[in-house]
Amino acid sequence: MNEEEKLTRFETEMLPLMSDAFNLARWLMQNEQDARDMVQEAYLRAFRFFSGVRGETGRAWLLRIVRNVCYDHLKKRKVHSSDEELENIPDDSSPENQLQVKSEVEAVRSALASLPEDFRTVLVLREMEELSYREISEITQVPIGTVMSRLARGRQQLAEVLKQMREKDLV
Amino acid sequence: MTCDELYQQLDPFFDNELGLAEAQKVQQHLEQCAACEEAYASRLAVRQALQKPEVRFATPDDLRDQIQVELSKKVSPPRRRAWRVPAFEFPNWLLPSLAGAAAVLAVWFGSKLFLNETRSPNGLLATVTAQLVSDHMRSLLPDHLIDVVSTDQHTVKPWFAGKLSFSPPVYDLSDQGFKLIGGRLDYLGNQEIAAIVFQHHQHYINLFAWPKTESTHFPDTTLQKEGFNVYGWEANGLIMWAVTDAAPDALKTFVDLQKQKQQQGGTE
Repeated sequence: MNEEEKLTRFETEMLPLMSDAFNLARWLMQNEQDARDMVQEAYLRAFRFFSGVRGETGRAWLLRIVRNVCYDHLKKRKVHSSDEELENIPDDSSPENQLQVKSEVEAVRSALASLPEDFRTVLVLREMEELSYREISEITQVPIGTVMSRLARGRQQLAEVLKQMREKDLV
Repeated sequence: MTCDELYQQLDPFFDNELGLAEAQKVQQHLEQCAACEEAYASRLAVRQALQKPEVRFATPDDLRDQIQVELSKKVSPPRRRAWRVPAFEFPNWLLPSLAGAAAVLAVWFGSKLFLNETRSPNGLLATVTAQLVSDHMRSLLPDHLIDVVSTDQHTVKPWFAGKLSFSPPVYDLSDQGFKLIGGRLDYLGNQEIAAIVFQHHQHYINLFAWPKTESTHFPDTTLQKEGFNVYGWEANGLIMWAVTDAAPDALKTFVDLQKQKQQQGGTE
């Protein structure tokens, strides 16, 4: 397979998955610009290692790369950012946002955004991308048992946050 | 099953990750325990909230072009972009390399939710559907479709008789466009079930049948999963599920013909 053929095959198999890749990156990075950068970096990285994966494995494979690229950057952000800089990062779950009355969709988005990364990731992969435990385990690189317990706790926390919002009439 | 034990299995049950036997135990517990049923309902509410399409973040329009430009720089010599991959997106994993028609259906139904998802608790129904759809998909692999090849109902029916404790109804509907092509033993959980195979134009229909037990009750159910159309019903002490990549109206016609024959009884 020459480079040109490889690119054509890569584009045919991987570009249709971009909405899944972007959604995951957007939920992990919590802002659009970073999500764009991560998706682009993930596609370039994926292309380097691409040798023709298909179907189900292709999707989980790409999302694993997206997740890894995002985590690398989140780690760096935590190490290098001063507190001031962190405050400037636009974030859907900032307190000002939470005090406004929200539409149902905004409420769900900010509730999910407020969850810890690990829980948010499995919820996005399971409920939005509808992946199996095995695939989620491959993407997040933790055992299936951990996927299961993160889902259980993530769901409970999300239900709790939504309930609190409703009680405070923020929805 | 205690509530603690149930709690360990609630999420895998909810996510269709349990075997049939375990799923049945969870289902039974949920029917009797209001507190656990509430925990199940709360998961369902979370799912419904997260699965609203607007909760997803849409991909910016220009990102795809931007990435394609970056990708083409990695190839030497850089190619000139003469074509554009159409912005046609549905999950690739829905598509085992089946008939092209399945692809069309997957797109058609891609945006619809699993119809019965809102009926609570329906983990068992979802488990059965998931298993039968996967049986159907496996049957489309080379050499997996049929154990007994025959277009004659008087050959297929006795073949089952020697292998199962019940007698599935086998009717040839060639005249109506649904050609009997054979039968196969398949599995639902650990249970052996009958799979009667029909062909409708270039589509296959797997009609699964197994005996009804007192603890299960399936009302007529129609839904689609992973691009396949499914219709389930009960007749003469058996539960019948048809799974196919043929269109919903063709499936409905097929099911109506089967029901008609079953009501008439006998094998003609």
